Amino acid sequence: MTPEQEFAIIDKVLAGNPSAYADLVNRYKNYAFTLALKVLSNRPEAEEAAQDAFVKAYHHLKNFNRESKFSTWLYRIVFNTAVSYKRKRKGTYQDIEKTEVGLNPVAESNLEKNDKKKFIHAAMSTLNEADRFTLTLFYLQEHSLEEIAEITGMQANTVKVRIHRARQRLADELTRILNTEALTL
Amino acid sequence: MAKQLNISDEHLLNYLDGTLNPQERNTIEQLLKADQQVALRLDALRSIHDYLLTSRADEPSKNFTQRVMERLQYPATSGYSPLNGILLLTGVLVAVGIAAVLLASGVFDTTTTLDLNQLVVPNKYLDENLPSIAVNGKLIVNLIILVNIALAFIVLDRAVLKPWFERRRELNLL
Repeated sequence: MTPEQEFAIIDKVLAGNPSAYADLVNRYKNYAFTLALKVLSNRPEAEEAAQDAFVKAYHHLKNFNRESKFSTWLYRIVFNTAVSYKRKRKGTYQDIEKTEVGLNPVAESNLEKNDKKKFIHAAMSTLNEADRFTLTLFYLQEHSLEEIAEITGMQANTVKVRIHRARQRLADELTRILNTEALTL
Repeated sequence: MAKQLNISDEHLLNYLDGTLNPQERNTIEQLLKADQQVALRLDALRSIHDYLLTSRADEPSKNFTQRVMERLQYPATSGYSPLNGILLLTGVLVAVGIAAVLLASGVFDTTTTLDLNQLVVPNKYLDENLPSIAVNGKLIVNLIILVNIALAFIVLDRAVLKPWFERRRELNLL
């Protein structure tokens, strides 16, 4: 779907045809859900946040200025909504920048020894949610650094450093896991 | 790990991203042949790079779109409507203003005594005279004003400032 086709759908919605919005939801629901999941690490909560983001985007659609892609605008709403959900979690408030998820012992024990993807997946859980979100935007949707900066509200240079640092940490963690596994063989 | 080498992870990551110029690329490739540690580090970084490149998006539940479309029918509401909040805030401030004016004009300066014996209660229930209670109107009105000011701050925060900041954050990109 080209940006022009998206703008045509937006025009239809704004002209009083809300059912046209389903096309946009269908197009972006997987990515919106994936991004929310990177922040929240909880499928039901991520689904709720992603739905909430689509509803917010719908109600503010008239304010979308079309200078950026609809996806860029939508993903920023997804990011803010997911972060907001994260902060509202009762009793588990953590700074979004400082949160680190430790390796799940069950997941770790289930790792298949010769499957590097499983190791990397485990290593991914050691990153904070902002890093996982940024990496997902960079790789999954191949957003430019400038677009990621617009979505996350960071400087483009900061985004670049964050992506580099996240990959370094993943490589360090992968090496550590592989070394640990080698020692237990 | 790569800090011990003459080449940084940043160079290796830029190599993987394809953002190096031909000369820098050539230098890295020569180093990879000469130094096994650099090659091992690149291998670890490439594993991450390839994994992320081949990752796929997760799928939400099958009725995701249907649920979003159902939710569109309901207007976006927050706990407090800003308009109602402003009206409530105005009411509280007017009440505080009136109380302050009355206080300043000395209406509550005198202490009133509440004589319980003047209450219309059948004499058969009372054997003794009831005590008189001194009521300090000025103190009570001051307390009411304080409570109203606290209420005004809460209403200002919940109904005006919080929705405004949330809305500004959501629409910051518009």
